[in-house]
Amino acid sequence: MHLRIALRDQPFHPFGCLERWHRHLHDQGHSGSAAEALFIGRVRGEAADGSDLEALELEHYPGMTERSLEQLAQACGGRYQARSCLIQHRVGRVLPGEPIVLVAIGADRRGPAQRCCQELLEALKHEAPFWKREWHVDGSSTWITGNTPL
Amino acid sequence: MVVKVTQGGSEQLASETVQVRLFALLQDRAGWFARELPLPADSCLSALDVWNRLNLGPWSASLRVAINQNLVKPQQRVHPGDELAFLPPFTGG
Repeated sequence: MHLRIALRDQPFHPFGCLERWHRHLHDQGHSGSAAEALFIGRVRGEAADGSDLEALELEHYPGMTERSLEQLAQACGGRYQARSCLIQHRVGRVLPGEPIVLVAIGADRRGPAQRCCQELLEALKHEAPFWKREWHVDGSSTWITGNTPL
Repeated sequence: MVVKVTQGGSEQLASETVQVRLFALLQDRAGWFARELPLPADSCLSALDVWNRLNLGPWSASLRVAINQNLVKPQQRVHPGDELAFLPPFTGG
């Protein structure tokens, strides 16, 4: 499985990343998957309590976070015979509307591609060391203690 | 802020300490994010013992422990030179 994982401390453009990833796969002799499923998560404009959100901060554990993502991707990709996996995840301060995460899975058929993408996203939400802090417009902040429901 | 905790006025050898790291809410509550704790080579302290020694409050089953960036059970023994991290529930993605 071709795999690319990056933690980004600056804003990124998911479709630009995807295009560069496809070019890279092509350059590596990858024939292109018949099915590709992707997920983009962005910062909402409101905090969990409904108030306006100034920014979302993503903390991580340098070293462990990257390794954890790789392990999750390899495990999930292996279960579904994925042919390619791209993960891009922000760290640091992220503004409302900006992408937080991109997951793109290439596989031979739509079922494995979609299921792998969904499973990997849920896995990284619960098993990869990231922590979100909401920054409110009044300067206060709140650590998020759980993931939003599906 | 990194705080080096020493005993007896003299610094312990780096190999006889464990580095403790806190993240997110735990860091805010404790007021520090990294600390070195003396740990003699013959000690039998677990990660949970270290948590209690640092007076970090009651233990919660929702917390996770990593030693040298690998998830372990709280009862796992800590050795000198280890990096011990206490991790709140993850909320990425």
